[in-house]
Amino acid sequence: MATALITPSSPRTPVARRSTNRYAWQAAGFATPALLLVALVLYLPFVWTGYLSFTKYSGVGPMTWVGIQNYQDMFANPDLINAMVNTLYWVVGTIALPVGLGLVIALLAHGLPGSFWYRLPFLLPYAISGVAVGIIWTFILQSGGALTEAVTALHLPGQDLRWLLDSPLNTWVMIVATTWQGAGVNALLFGIGLASIPPGPVEAARIDGASGWALFRHIYWPMLRPLTTVVVGLAIVGSLKTFDVVWAMTKGGPGKQSETLALRMWKATFQENQWGLGAAIAVFLTVVTVVAAGLYLRRQLSESKAVY
Amino acid sequence: MPGRATVPDRLLDVPAGTAATPRRPDRPARRPLTAGGIVRRAVLIVLGVFWLIPVYLLLANAAKTDDQYGFIDVWQPVGLGGLWSNIAAAWQKGNLADGVVSTAIYSLVSPAIAVLVGSGVGFAIVALRLRHGFAWFVVIFSATVIPVQMILMPLFRGYVKFGLYDSRIGMIVVYTVLTIPFAAFVMRNFFTGIAREVFEAATVDGAGSLRTFARIYLPMSVSALLAVFILQATLIWNDLLIGLTLTRSNDVRPVMTALVAMQSTYGGSTMQVVLAGGLLVSLPTVVLFLLTQRTFTRGMALGQF
Repeated sequence: MATALITPSSPRTPVARRSTNRYAWQAAGFATPALLLVALVLYLPFVWTGYLSFTKYSGVGPMTWVGIQNYQDMFANPDLINAMVNTLYWVVGTIALPVGLGLVIALLAHGLPGSFWYRLPFLLPYAISGVAVGIIWTFILQSGGALTEAVTALHLPGQDLRWLLDSPLNTWVMIVATTWQGAGVNALLFGIGLASIPPGPVEAARIDGASGWALFRHIYWPMLRPLTTVVVGLAIVGSLKTFDVVWAMTKGGPGKQSETLALRMWKATFQENQWGLGAAIAVFLTVVTVVAAGLYLRRQLSESKAVY
Repeated sequence: MPGRATVPDRLLDVPAGTAATPRRPDRPARRPLTAGGIVRRAVLIVLGVFWLIPVYLLLANAAKTDDQYGFIDVWQPVGLGGLWSNIAAAWQKGNLADGVVSTAIYSLVSPAIAVLVGSGVGFAIVALRLRHGFAWFVVIFSATVIPVQMILMPLFRGYVKFGLYDSRIGMIVVYTVLTIPFAAFVMRNFFTGIAREVFEAATVDGAGSLRTFARIYLPMSVSALLAVFILQATLIWNDLLIGLTLTRSNDVRPVMTALVAMQSTYGGSTMQVVLAGGLLVSLPTVVLFLLTQRTFTRGMALGQF
């Protein structure tokens, strides 16, 4: 581990421990602004939303305690079931496309001189906002848009498809738009992971005659596994929060067909004034996110602890 | 597990100065061109060109005048004739001008405060050995996992109550606090890579902790500070959701929220003006990315770990 690269900090002997007291007040002074701000602006609202999810509240007027009513409503409400299914599409699609393609791009570029330049076109869209990505792809996918024209000119099937108007097709094509934006980050991460694989085992396998698929299957894939866990965990967490691209492309429409949970939560709260239901959706999203994040958080924290 | 890919080590524990040069000693020597290498290159180039098609379509059609759009094929370029008038239309009629100014303020001020405050807590934990430091670190770091949906409603209510709704100060505060956990995470991990002796030497020389922080730790961490700043400035520039929830007026509303509003009020703006607006608001972050590729991608990688 790279801790060996740097001078190890002095062991936490009782002497070192006692000397910390000298800085106790200063340490508190340095830490307080961050802790206070995070507590006030993130954790306090967090708890409030949790409480809100057990009430009926329209944004103004009285707040009534209703127990788990909102959660029961949530799983009986067809709009919400639809949003859950769409969100599931987003999760599965995001693992398959941006992550899968990212891995492919990283493998293709691995070891090539100037691999950074080969990856550049894929990285570029990451600097573009979800809204701008949505606008570009709306233009491409709208009825009679660039894609329909291209498909027609090339005499390919799909000329009659209404990309953004039919469900679940609209969700799928929006996942493609997100792939355009996000594949490069995953390629970058996998690229860093590949570069950190020691050359020894790879050379040994090469000498044994392994190449191509066998090399990937038996050397690269097992060695990339810890990294893959992190990348997949991040993809799940990111896709659960999908909002910007959908808002810019369909606003969840037509009707409510392409809504994700994040979008439904926003509309339920700020357009339909069902704050309790919105809060319940937010809590549900958070629980799923935390479970998914558990995939990579434990690892991150244990590594942070290792260098502490 | 021998030889597993441990990315954070590589990214985080490099003392300042060396971090900006990712050239590695273990990079394989230039191999002679093989058939496989040529095929891989060809596939990457084809895929890369394919990837740039949406950018081409954006440029080609943001440049079409009203006379051209709808009459000339969307795939056909027309030069840059209409581009300036379309951008001007987006700038003025689309109200992007106000949005660009406010968002520039948000994405410069908020990450600057956040990296300072985040470095502060990192310094307290690592150098000053804050009591229960790791527990506090976990508390702050865990906040990076909270979906922003979980805080929108109370923020909206609280902001309305305290007069922060639809104010630039309110926006700066929320963007700053949303950035702090990540900044604290990166900076705390970066500081653990600075040898303890540095701190001790400074103390022996009579430097107080504030001075050690400002004159030694921060200058040693410029590369990490910059990576966090650039990534977070980009994320704030690109934000839609916070702006949608906490702002209303043209001069507070951030640029992405203004752009999306332009798109929905279709009567006011034509498709080519909306595209020109999308191009305009993407330019700052894309240019920033092109100018600071190494730092930017480093921030991206840090952002994932």
